Order: sequence, then structure tokens, then C-alpha cells
Amino acid sequence: MASINTGFSKELTKFGAFDFNACYNCGTCTAVCSLSTGEDSFPREMIRYSVLGLEDDIKASLKPWLCYYCGECTTHCPQEADPGELMMSLRRWLTSVYDWTGLSGLLYRSLTASIIAMTLTALAVIAYAVVTNFDLEKIMHTGHIFEMVVIGTVFTVILLPNLLRMWNFIILKPGIKVPFKNYVTGLRDLVVHMFTQKRTLGCDDSQVRWFEHLILVFGYLGLLFTTVFLNWFSSESTFVIVLGYVVSIIIFTVTVIFVSERIRKRREMSKKSQPSDWMFVVWLFMMGLSAFAVRLFIDLGILQNNIWLYLAHMIILVQWALVIVPFGKWTHFLYRSFAMYFDAIKKN
Amino acid sequence: MNKKLGVYICHCGGNISDYIDVEKVKAAVAGEDGVYLAKTTMFACSDATQKEMVEDIRSNNLDGIVVASCSPKLHLLTFRAVSERALLNKYNYVHANIREQGSWAHSDDKAGATEKAVSLVKAAIAKVRLARSLDPIIIPSKKAVAIIGAGVAGMRAAIELADMGCPVTLVEREYFVGGRVAQWDVMFTTNQTGKELVTRLYNEVIARDNITLLTGAEVVANSGSIGDFTLKIKVTPRYMKEKCDQNNLLKAIEACPVVVPDDFNFNITSRKAIYHNFPGEFPQYPVIDIKNCTRCGECEKICSSVDFSQQEQTVEVHVGSVVMATGFDPYTPAEGEFGYKLSDFVVTLPQFKRLTDINKDNLVYNGREIRNIAYIYCVGSRQSEGDNKYCSRYCCTSAIHASLEARNKFRNVNNFHFTRGIRTYGKQELLYAESLRKGDVYLQAYEENPPLVEVKDGQITVTINDIMTGGREISVIPDLLVLVTGMVPRADNSIASKFKLPKGRDSFFNEIHMKLRPVETVIDGVTISGACQGPKNITESVNSALSAAAKSYSFVNKGELALEPIIAGIDKDLCTWCGECEKACPFDAIKKEKQGEKEIAVINNSVCKGCGMCLPVCPVNAINLIAFSDREIESMIDALVSV
Ligand SMILES: Cc1cc2nc3c(=O)[nH]c(=O)nc-3n(C[C@H](O)[C@H](O)[C@H](O)COP(=O)(O)OP(=O)(O)OC[C@H]3O[C@@H](n4cnc5c(N)ncnc54)[C@H](O)[C@@H]3O)c2cc1C
Ligand code: SF4
Ligand code: SF4
Repeated sequence: MASINTGFSKELTKFGAFDFNACYNCGTCTAVCSLSTGEDSFPREMIRYSVLGLEDDIKASLKPWLCYYCGECTTHCPQEADPGELMMSLRRWLTSVYDWTGLSGLLYRSLTASIIAMTLTALAVIAYAVVTNFDLEKIMHTGHIFEMVVIGTVFTVILLPNLLRMWNFIILKPGIKVPFKNYVTGLRDLVVHMFTQKRTLGCDDSQVRWFEHLILVFGYLGLLFTTVFLNWFSSESTFVIVLGYVVSIIIFTVTVIFVSERIRKRREMSKKSQPSDWMFVVWLFMMGLSAFAVRLFIDLGILQNNIWLYLAHMIILVQWALVIVPFGKWTHFLYRSFAMYFDAIKKN
Repeated sequence: MNKKLGVYICHCGGNISDYIDVEKVKAAVAGEDGVYLAKTTMFACSDATQKEMVEDIRSNNLDGIVVASCSPKLHLLTFRAVSERALLNKYNYVHANIREQGSWAHSDDKAGATEKAVSLVKAAIAKVRLARSLDPIIIPSKKAVAIIGAGVAGMRAAIELADMGCPVTLVEREYFVGGRVAQWDVMFTTNQTGKELVTRLYNEVIARDNITLLTGAEVVANSGSIGDFTLKIKVTPRYMKEKCDQNNLLKAIEACPVVVPDDFNFNITSRKAIYHNFPGEFPQYPVIDIKNCTRCGECEKICSSVDFSQQEQTVEVHVGSVVMATGFDPYTPAEGEFGYKLSDFVVTLPQFKRLTDINKDNLVYNGREIRNIAYIYCVGSRQSEGDNKYCSRYCCTSAIHASLEARNKFRNVNNFHFTRGIRTYGKQELLYAESLRKGDVYLQAYEENPPLVEVKDGQITVTINDIMTGGREISVIPDLLVLVTGMVPRADNSIASKFKLPKGRDSFFNEIHMKLRPVETVIDGVTISGACQGPKNITESVNSALSAAAKSYSFVNKGELALEPIIAGIDKDLCTWCGECEKACPFDAIKKEKQGEKEIAVINNSVCKGCGMCLPVCPVNAINLIAFSDREIESMIDALVSV
């Protein structure tokens, strides 16, 4: 027997949703959704859970992650309840629920908190620069070490426990029995979805969106790989240098498209932008651009005289790695892939 | 003399001619005795054909016509009018129904249908041969209307009739006008209060000289019929002089020792035997409720306006027509129905409306601050088992409106609606949308699985298998449970038997035809309006009141009425008064009368509807129905069997 929690609606509005209470359960959204199936029917059911505040059911559900926000439902909803944005808000809310530190929720709910976090990280970088007396070589070396350390730490201290929590909400708590072999066979799905987001192809809207996203993922992973493992900024190899240029160009061009979409608000999914959405695309863009500029300045031999450029790049990088990746929208990429993994192992 | 007859056989655009060979029918009847012309037509009712008929009748001096087409229910009046335009007495036109009784009934047997059509037309021809010209019965009609009930419907009808120049007697049983609406505070969909509306209507009523308002008044007897009703009305006094001193009055009320539940507030509060309902009710002076008063005289000692010498009076009014506007009662749940009476915190919607009106800043009831409110819909309506199968129409909107009102007026109110599917039709849907947006929670169940109410240690739990959440069991523990009760006919509806008013399946007063004659009843001259006819909101009640006013006006405005002459007639010589016909007549049109030495049956021409029920019961065959005499009927039977 479940009881109603009307407070949940208010809570959810802090994550971006509004007016989903207007839903009168006609089911149009579910009918037009090209990803909804008989077995996994959404988004109406999720709206209903949200209206009633059935938090445990939402936590145990993968449906928010099965939605890729084409926005068809929002376009067709006769009550203008914006089911698409509700699904997006649920993803944000779930992210905050998975996150054991609670920082994720704090940053989603409060813009001030986000600004403070960004400022603090920036000040830390500047402080470090002051301490080293603006020694470019030292700073660059630390930057490289920082990247490797942070990747490992963020993953083991934050993301891995969060994934375990997600697993708990979805598999363990509801008492679903999953044979061990499924965990192994399911890995294939994990990899495929993580790198291709192939499910988006099921959406009826333009496939361009999927393609842009795919390119961006490869660009992003490429940049990560070249800077961290191939040490792009210190590399002498032409191949590595060119590769770095290519991936960083990819990143900032694709993000420019994304930003302009959000400004033009043509697609349903880009009509409503939360600070977290802006932050994600803008920082990605700045990362691509600043990395590109840093390497260019190195090649032109003028970085030494323009140390501010590297500092800017460093600030962006630190903010990205310490704020956006562990607590921001970046995690959607991870949780979404794992959602597909859990979905596969549950069903097999 | 042999009559010259015209026969028209209609195709009905294929409705008839697809199954009946109309040409064959024409050929079969063309040679009948007296038939001067026989024609087929695509649409007999079309303007062109009507003109052609008029032309035919005039230029050929026809003495009678037969139209074979659809049911006379549809077009009898059309072709009567055609005859009149051609200066042919309309009773010389006879109708044959070859669509409902021919083509549609026998679509599987074209030859048979055609044969039957031939017989029906021949029978009609036989009847028209014997038809006589008839004149309508003209009776005087008193230009005055009585309206029973001074709710919104009654008052609105009174104003309308008065403005058309018709004197009105407005009879209200209670001491205050306004009916139910006086009891509501803010109302959908206008957001005006009941008080405002009733005040406006009342001021309009008293501003008109030709409206006589009687309060505390009840019709105790009715005699007569359309054009001439005589009503005996008992008027109970207020036992108060008009214009009394407010100060003393309040003291007098305080002094009265008798405390009774206040039905104005649906018994959630109490009042004294001397009381008023200021400021919302009119006329604005108090009453002594004599049924509960013990005549102890306490009030009389304080207030000089108390006047126990006033006497009950009976007045007699004569009117040409009567408008019924007696309204409805809210449904009262049975004990235990959704927890009713099992907890102090289970109330009905009307009680809840009074509650939100009476409370000012906080919603407090029986000492408890009310925050979480559950509403169970369709209580006493849409019952799968029980009498009230109908939807009460107003209650979804009213409950939503009241819950929004509670949300807006008081702090921290949460509303939980347990519905059977919301029916806020038309613009009322906007209220539903607003309620959803504000965060009210709606749950829904099917009729066979209604919400369950449990009361334990003063705690109410409402549980539902919510079909919007895949049948999940969901429960709410509200501070207050509101039963959204529907409308039922007035508990004391004895007025109906005084007028012999028929009731429908749902026990409300019944109209003749929902769409074609929506405010008339089978009792000529008596119209119905407002919620006494079935659940209605104010707009709908007023619309029907205006319609009833117009209809009643049409009965009285000329000072006389033309009635259908097709009625029963009694052969004085044959009648021996056995009383059988009186028993058979459903309209009370037959009375015994002494004529010389003999007692015979006499028919009241303005009441008889020509239904013919009295004919077969007469042992001496003394009754004949005009236009359906034995000769006419026998000639038709002959024609039918001769084929
Ligand atoms: C809880 C509730 C809330 C509502 N809220 C709204 C709203 O917000 N908006 C809206 O549009 N509608 C509302 N309605 C509906 C509205 O009350 C009715 O449409 C309206 O009252 C019908 O008017 P009426 O004149 O036909 O009947 P009534 O209001 O019932 O008036 C009938 C009158 O006839 C009198 N009477 C009865 N029998 C006799 C007799 N034998 N002799 C003489 N007099 C007699 C009665 O005393 C009464 O004064 C509500 C109804 C309910 C139950
Ligand atoms: S289309 Fe809109 S109103 Fe209909 S179920 Fe979906 S969200 Fe609700
Ligand atoms: S109006 Fe609504 S509450 Fe009233 S009977 Fe109809 S469906 Fe039920």
C-alpha cells in the first residue's frame, strides 16, 4: 500500500519540472513516444508517480533513462504538462539521489552553490599559480598529473559508489534476482550504449541529433585520451599533435551547434535549459577551444609569454573535472549507459 | 357525394423507395374510389412539393389528401399546415406511415413491404373518405400564471412572465426565497456568491407590481385544467410584524430556549425557534418556526414585533398555467455509506460548502484544524446498484470549485479527489485544469471497485485501487472526508400528486420529450423548470426557466386557447353511468353528472387528450372518438383486409 507525498512535486520543480501536475492522464504522450513499449511504457506512468510522489518507485525505475528527450510528448500534450521536461528533471533528480555526497543535488537545486563551486575551483588554480610563482613548466606538469589523479579518484571515490547505489535502488532493493552470468553478458550492452547511444536511433525525430552526439562522444573521449595518455601538450609526435587538433576542433564545433540550439529553442529538448545544461555545453566548448589554443600557442612558441591562456585552460579543466564530471550533467552519460546495462541484465 | 382525393407517396430520398416500389404503390391506389390524382415525390416535406400540393388542392378543388411518408410524429403538423394554406380543413388530411412501419421495418422483404404500403395507403384513403371538417375547441384561458417554488428558476421565470405583462403568483414553501442557491457562498463558474445572485433576483421580483410573492405558502389543492386552474394555497404566518427592531430581536433570539438543528447549514450548526438567515435571505425579516416553538413567550417579553395573534390563511388563485420550479434535495448518504455518520469528520458536499463559508481564517471543524481533505465523488449518483443511476452533473464541478476555494482561503490545504472520472463539461473544464495545476491529486476507480473508507480510533483511512497508477493500492488519511453527494428529487414532493405530474425513471418530474418538448408535461398547462426536472446547474436551471416561462405564456397570452378537437364524445342517451370510463381515463377528464333524472358521464373537453382508453371499456358502446369513429376504423380495417 502506497501513500501520497504531495511535497515531491515541489521538490521536483527545483530540478526544472513545472506544470506536470496539469496532466490528466490521457496517455497521448505515451502513445506518441517512439521509445515507449508495452513492457516499458512511459512517460505517463512517470508523471503519475511524480504527481503522487511515489519516490521509491521512481528510484527503482529505469524509465527516466530510457527516454532520450526527442520532445514529441511535450509537443502533443493537450494539457501542456511538458512530459519531456519532467523526464529530464527526473534524470536530474535521480542523479542527485544516486550521489552519496549530496553535492549533486545541491548544485542542481541552487545556482548560487554552483557559482560558489566554480569560483572556489578557479581561485584554487590561481592560488597554486601564485605559489609556484607562475612557473609555466611546473604548472603544466602538475596539470598533467592532476588530470590522471583526478580521473582515478573521481571514479573510485564518487562515481563507482554512486553506480553501486544505483544498482542497489534498481536491482537489490526491489529484490530482483539476477544470475551472475547476466552481469557478464550484459557488458556488451554497456559498451555499445556508452559509445554509440544507439537507442537514440529509435527516436522519430531527425537522426542528425544522434550523429552529432556520437561525434561529440568520440571527440570528447579522443581529447581525454590524447591529453591524458598521449600527453598532447608535451608530445613531439606529429600524429598525436594532429589528432589533438582534430578532436578539439570536433568538440568546439559540435558544442557550438548545441549552444545555438539552446539559444534558438527550436527543438523541444532545447527549449528549456537549466543552468546545469548550459554549464555542460559551455564548459565542453571552452575546454575544446582552450586546449586547441594552448597547443597552437605552443606550436607558435608564444605560450611562455601568454601564461594566462594556460591558466584559463587549467581553470576550465579543473572545474570540469571536479564539478561537472562528478556532480553535473556529465554523469548522465554514465548513468544512462549503466541504465541500459541494468535493463539488459534484468531482462535477460 | 363522392370526395375528390389526392394521394402523395414519398420516396424519402431512398429511405422508402429503396425497399418499397413507390410507383407500384401509386399504380395500385390510383384507381381507388375517389382518388382524383396520385403522385410520387422525392421529398414530400420539401418546399417545392408543399407548394405543389397547395396548388393541386386549390386548382382541383380536392376534398381530402393522403400523404404516405414517414411517421406523423415528424410531419403531421407540416401537412396540416399545407392543407390550411390550401384552405382545406386540416382534418381532411390523413397520414400513412410507410417508412417506420414499411421500408425500415421490412427492409429484408421488398415485395412484402410494397404490398403492406399499398394496404396502408388504401386504409388511409378509406379514412379520408369519411373524414369531417373539424374546428378546434376554443376555451377561455386566464391570463395569469402560478409558479411553484421561488428558487433561481422560479424567480427568473416570474420576472420573465411579469415583463411580458402576465400577472404571476410566486408560491414559496419556505419563509425565505432563493432555494438552494441562497445556501452557497462563492459559486462556479462566475465566482459570484449565492447571496449576490439571490439578492439581485429578489429585488427584481419585488420591483414588479404584477408578481405576488407568497412565502411560507403551500399549494394544498388544485382543480381545473389548462386555461383555468384553481389553486388553494395555505399561507403560514411568520408570527412577526414586519419591520422589527434588530437589537431587541437579537436579544429575543438569545432568550429563546428551543434549539434545533439549522437546516440552512445542513445541520452542522443549530438555531433557535425564532430565527433569521440574514443577510443572505429574503424577505429580510425573521420567523418563528411554529412547528418547534413551545409558545413559552420568552421572545414576546423582549421583542414587541413578535405577534402570536397572526393566523394561518388559505388563499385561492385562478391561473391559466402553472410553472413547477420546486428544485431538488441533496442526496443524504445511508449510515455507514463511505463512513457517513461513523465519524464526525465525514461530511457531505453541501455541508462542506457551508463549512468553508462559515470559517474565516483557518478551517476548523469540531475543534480539529483541517489540512488534508479527501473527496469521494459520485456518492448517490451513477450507482450500479440503487435508484440513482444518473449523473448529477453539478457535483464534479462544485467539488472542484469548493476544494479550490478551500485551498485559496485557508493555509496548507491538500486536496485528494477520489473520482469515477471527472465530468466538468464545457467551460467548467477550466476549473479542473486549474485544480490540477495547483497540485490537487486525483485518483480514479471503476464503479465495481469503489474507494474503501475505514474509521478506526477516530482516524479515517481512504483506500483506492487507482486505475491511473495501474490499479495500485493507494491510501490517504485525511483530516476531513467530504462525500460529493448528488441531487435527488425533493423528499416532500407531494405537489406532484396534486397536479398528477408524471415522474421519469429517476423520479424527477418528466417532460414530454427531452428535445422536442423539453418543458411541457403530459398535463396540459403545467410546465417544469429548474432542478425539479433533473440535475442542473444555475445556468441550465435558468435556461429551462426561461423556456417554461415562454411556453406557459403561450398558453395564456391570448385569453383563449385552441385545443385539438379529436376527443371522446359521450352519447347521452346510451350512457347509463357505470363508472368504468372514469376509472380508465388516465387524465381525469371524465366526471359523473346529473342530467335531468339520469346520471351520465361527461367529458371535460379541455382535459381529454383523445387517447381512447375509455372506448373499449364502455359496456354499451356509448363513447365515440371524434375522427376515429367506429365507421372510420371499420372502413380502414376493411381496406386493409381486402387486399
Ligand atoms: C452543494 C451544491 C453546490 C452547488 N453549487 C453551484 C454552483 O456553484 N454553481 C451553479 O451553477 N450551480 C450550483 N449548484 C446547483 C444549484 O444549486 C441548482 O442549479 C439550483 O439550486 C436549482 O435551482 P431551482 O430553482 O431549480 O431549485 P432550488 O434551488 O431547489 O429551489 C426550489 C425552491 O422551491 C421551493 N419549493 C420546493 N417545493 C415546494 C413546494 N411544494 N411548494 C412551494 N415551494 C416549494 C424550495 O423551498 C426552493 O426555494 C450547486 C448544488 C449543490 C447541491
Ligand atoms: S499527454 Fe500530457 S496530459 Fe496526457 S498523459 Fe501525457 S502528460 Fe498527461
Ligand atoms: S457530476 Fe461528477 S461527481 Fe457528480 S455524479 Fe456526475 S460524475 Fe459523479
